[in-house]
Amino acid sequence: MDELDLLKKDWNKQQGNYPKLTFDQIYKMIWKRSHSIVKWIFYISLIELLAGTLLNIIFSGDKYWESIKENGLEEFTIVLYVISYTITFYFIYRFYRNYRKISTTDDASTLMKNILKTRKTVKYYIAYVLISSGILIVGVSVYMILHHTNKDVEDISNYSFEAMDWVKFIGASVLVLTVFLGIIWLFYRLLYGILLRRLKKNYIELKKLEL
Amino acid sequence: MEKELEHQFVTNLERDQNIVHKICRIYTNDQASHNDLFQEITIQLWKAYPKFRGDSKFSTWMYRVALNTAITLYRKKKRGIQTQDYDSVHFRIKVEEYDDDTEQRLSLMYNAVKELNDIDKALVFLYLEDKNYKEISETMGISEVNARVKMNRVKTKLKKILNP
Repeated sequence: MDELDLLKKDWNKQQGNYPKLTFDQIYKMIWKRSHSIVKWIFYISLIELLAGTLLNIIFSGDKYWESIKENGLEEFTIVLYVISYTITFYFIYRFYRNYRKISTTDDASTLMKNILKTRKTVKYYIAYVLISSGILIVGVSVYMILHHTNKDVEDISNYSFEAMDWVKFIGASVLVLTVFLGIIWLFYRLLYGILLRRLKKNYIELKKLEL
Repeated sequence: MEKELEHQFVTNLERDQNIVHKICRIYTNDQASHNDLFQEITIQLWKAYPKFRGDSKFSTWMYRVALNTAITLYRKKKRGIQTQDYDSVHFRIKVEEYDDDTEQRLSLMYNAVKELNDIDKALVFLYLEDKNYKEISETMGISEVNARVKMNRVKTKLKKILNP
């Protein structure tokens, strides 16, 4: 292509036409703060990974523990905690491993792949938190209804629940739950949609034609 | 030791800074963004510098980190006013030997490159810097065949932009 050759010729002639930064100007720059997306991804991911743990701690106050005792769910809860913390730490470990792999000295394709992989780990973690808390909430509700052990609802439990009431009750619970989890998911998608849109687009563009 | 490394790095970058400026020119449209990107590339180069073993030339090593920063790491800042304070005409020095027609063609060509996507810009940049397909494929992490096909498509795209 003639035009491109012409451009190349001109490109080489432009050598003297660039700003010339001094040693001191460049020296100052190396201590400035980076605005790279990797940094953002790192911070946001850490917040997300810790948020699950924090929520657990906040909700598991003395009262919570008492009610578990009353219901005779101590062992069950402890096992659940062990499992959930093991899974959380596994995710944190995977995240850290992936994060360490991100290196600007890799080729463009590997770099992009590693960044996306790091994000994917956190995405799976969020999915895990949402799904497991969904199951837990449903499980606990069902348990409470079946056993009527919650003292606060003792009076109410004298009323007989007809089939229609059950459907309404379950329907409302599922709706509230879906909306709640949906909002979290949407927020999460928005955040990353904005942060990773360009990277994803470039990665797809780069890998096009690659077999 | 650290001081020595800093000095070495800044000296190298001061010498080869043109490469970074060229990337900034291709990927940004105004002086403020140019400076932003230049700074981010400098930071990333410095962070990666301990991994630079000197088995290749500093300038060769720079291409990778600098392009990676421009394509992948750098997040364009939203600016209130979208200025284009250096367009194709402004950011070139006129070359005496060219006639008006050539100048016109060149300015159209520079503008056409600006319209390409990030990946295509990188390919054009590496082409202009006289890198062969092996080097292009290694920098971008794609096969040589793919690099060739992509380059041909870029040429077609440019033609289309110039003659819609």
